Amino acid sequence: MKPAPFAYVRPATLDDAVAELVATGGDGKVLAGGQSLVPVLAMRLGRPGTLVDITAAAGLDTIERRGAVLRIGATTRQRRLERSPAANDVPLIGMALPFVGHRELRSRGTVCGSLAHADPGAELPAVASCLGAVLEVTGASGRRTVPAAEFFAGAMTTAVGAEEVLSAVEFPVAAPGEGFGFAEIARRHGDFALAGVVTRVRSAGGAVQEAVISGFGISDRAATRDVTDLVRAAADSADVEAALRPGTEELARDVVDTAGDSHGSQGYRRRLFAVLAARELAHAHRRSTEGRS
Amino acid sequence: MSTTEDTAARAPQRPVKAAADELIDVSFTVNGSPISIRVPARMHLGDALRMHLGLSGTHLGCEHGVCGMCTVLIDGDAARACLVFAVQAEGTEVVTVEGLGTQESQHPLQQAFSHHHALQCGFCTPGFLMSSYDLLANSEGEVDAETLPEEMSGVICRCTGYRGILAAVSDVAQAHPEGIPGPLNCAPRTLVGRTGGASATPAAPAEAPVADADEQTPRELTRPTGTPTITVAVTRQLSSPVEDIWAVMDDVDRLARCLPGAEMTADLGEDRYRGRAKVSLGPVRLAFEGLAQITERDVADHRLALLAQGADTGGNRTAAEITLRATATPEGSTELRADAAVFLSGRIAQFGRALAGDVSQRMFEQFADAVDQTARTGTAPEVGAGPSALRIGLQAVGAGLRRRVALLAGAVRDARRRRRAS
Repeated sequence: MKPAPFAYVRPATLDDAVAELVATGGDGKVLAGGQSLVPVLAMRLGRPGTLVDITAAAGLDTIERRGAVLRIGATTRQRRLERSPAANDVPLIGMALPFVGHRELRSRGTVCGSLAHADPGAELPAVASCLGAVLEVTGASGRRTVPAAEFFAGAMTTAVGAEEVLSAVEFPVAAPGEGFGFAEIARRHGDFALAGVVTRVRSAGGAVQEAVISGFGISDRAATRDVTDLVRAAADSADVEAALRPGTEELARDVVDTAGDSHGSQGYRRRLFAVLAARELAHAHRRSTEGRS
Repeated sequence: MSTTEDTAARAPQRPVKAAADELIDVSFTVNGSPISIRVPARMHLGDALRMHLGLSGTHLGCEHGVCGMCTVLIDGDAARACLVFAVQAEGTEVVTVEGLGTQESQHPLQQAFSHHHALQCGFCTPGFLMSSYDLLANSEGEVDAETLPEEMSGVICRCTGYRGILAAVSDVAQAHPEGIPGPLNCAPRTLVGRTGGASATPAAPAEAPVADADEQTPRELTRPTGTPTITVAVTRQLSSPVEDIWAVMDDVDRLARCLPGAEMTADLGEDRYRGRAKVSLGPVRLAFEGLAQITERDVADHRLALLAQGADTGGNRTAAEITLRATATPEGSTELRADAAVFLSGRIAQFGRALAGDVSQRMFEQFADAVDQTARTGTAPEVGAGPSALRIGLQAVGAGLRRRVALLAGAVRDARRRRRAS
């Protein structure tokens, strides 16, 4: 399990990093935490000619509140964000991060790295999708921003080009009247989820204004749907979760299209998704009306 | 409002630029001793600790981040030494199990592991000690018995059943509610590597060119046996009439062009073909060389069966039995159905979840649409040439197909079930 030889570059700035990537002509890979990339290299499923280590690039190691968004720089490690009081501004971060791998991986793994790797079973892409996060991509021609809905293009495939760097992500902070839910089922803690959901419900004056769900581990990318009508229709029931179930079962048939594997069939994943979706939408709804997220 | 938090306290690492065959000077602190070593960029920290510094207490198990044997502390946090290149450790403070305590003066965690018989063969013990040290030193609240198993799930033990380990960690947590003592054996000393010097490992020779791929290419096609890694059944509605679709299916040259990333390199006669296929998925890039054979060609039924086999230079092997069937619909269009039994071996089989499962449907859809377009226009679109989208290749009618086809299976099975139910 030794990676094939590669050239190693550790530039001092983001611009230099982009220049190095351009110089490789598409044969370079960005290395930040490396917790997803290094296993790929170790198994020689990938043999990039050059690794561009961006961890020394100035100014990328940031956790910054900018108005209504929490901005996370490219090299901010997951465990640092997990410990940061700023994470309270985006409650879903605190709910999802403990499920990202293990402590030993989060100590090195970066938030942006997880988004850029875009594993279909990963938690953070679903959080970004559910919240409508905005991703900032830097290339030779400058910076551009990509909404999460357009960022994830498929399994391990994103809008980041071979000569670009995902330089930051901006998560919207929780607004008044917003409630959130998160749940996943994995064979063991730290494994990729067989199915997982991230939910967000916004209520005002007791009435549901907006409800969104993102599922992960169920397709080739996080599947995000507006479920405002569904939650609104169930909101007045004595048992909101039960009232949501027929709707989430219908939703599961729509969004769960992974073929299934030895750990869980497609049908099993659909049932998991339907149950988790109803539970976490009800949870988010309850919190949105209680005035705590 | 704009508030910026402090960034990492440590000074930024110095810039580096090193060719693949170059050694890089790296300096960091290990168990309190400042050290400098010269290593190739691809050497991970675990190997550097063991081979350059003689610290063989850090064990190596899987070397791809799953087992946790190589857990060490980097700047106070537990991390897997096999997932960190030694060059990335520049300027950090690393603590290994050797720094935790000595035989004469054991760390409380080591005493507790001993007391609770939290080890049998001992191979995982360094990993568990460093992981549990991190847990107890860094957790903010109390460590409660209910979540402890999950907290300790980053390291695998195959002997003890974990009970002794959990009891030991739990004991130490209770005995030190104010935080556990730091590592007891961290002080400057001279570290000498197994290789006799601090930097004796020669640079690895540059990787041989991929020309040896040909040696890996199977010479004979054999029907795979056993349980397939993936089975696939997918259907796709195509706009062209069935005869046009069949004309493409019946022309291997054109059919191969519809497979993203695939290329037919030789017609070996008797419906046997040689080809290659590229798979590109995020950091994963594989190039398969292989053989494909049409095993059945049923003109009346518009059915094509084929067997494909391929290998890459990394020892990954694939084999697939694929059946394609085109059926005319009442509207004059065509339903294309693919069934495949795919066999994967080598590392790709371990890493194959995302590759094999979720990607498959998109790949088949791409393939089917390319067939449709070829039927309509006479030429295949540029599949697989897209710059950033999925460029997943099948080998000449083979490797890729099986994969993209994988997802379809589920969908069709499900549709059938629904039909039956209704």
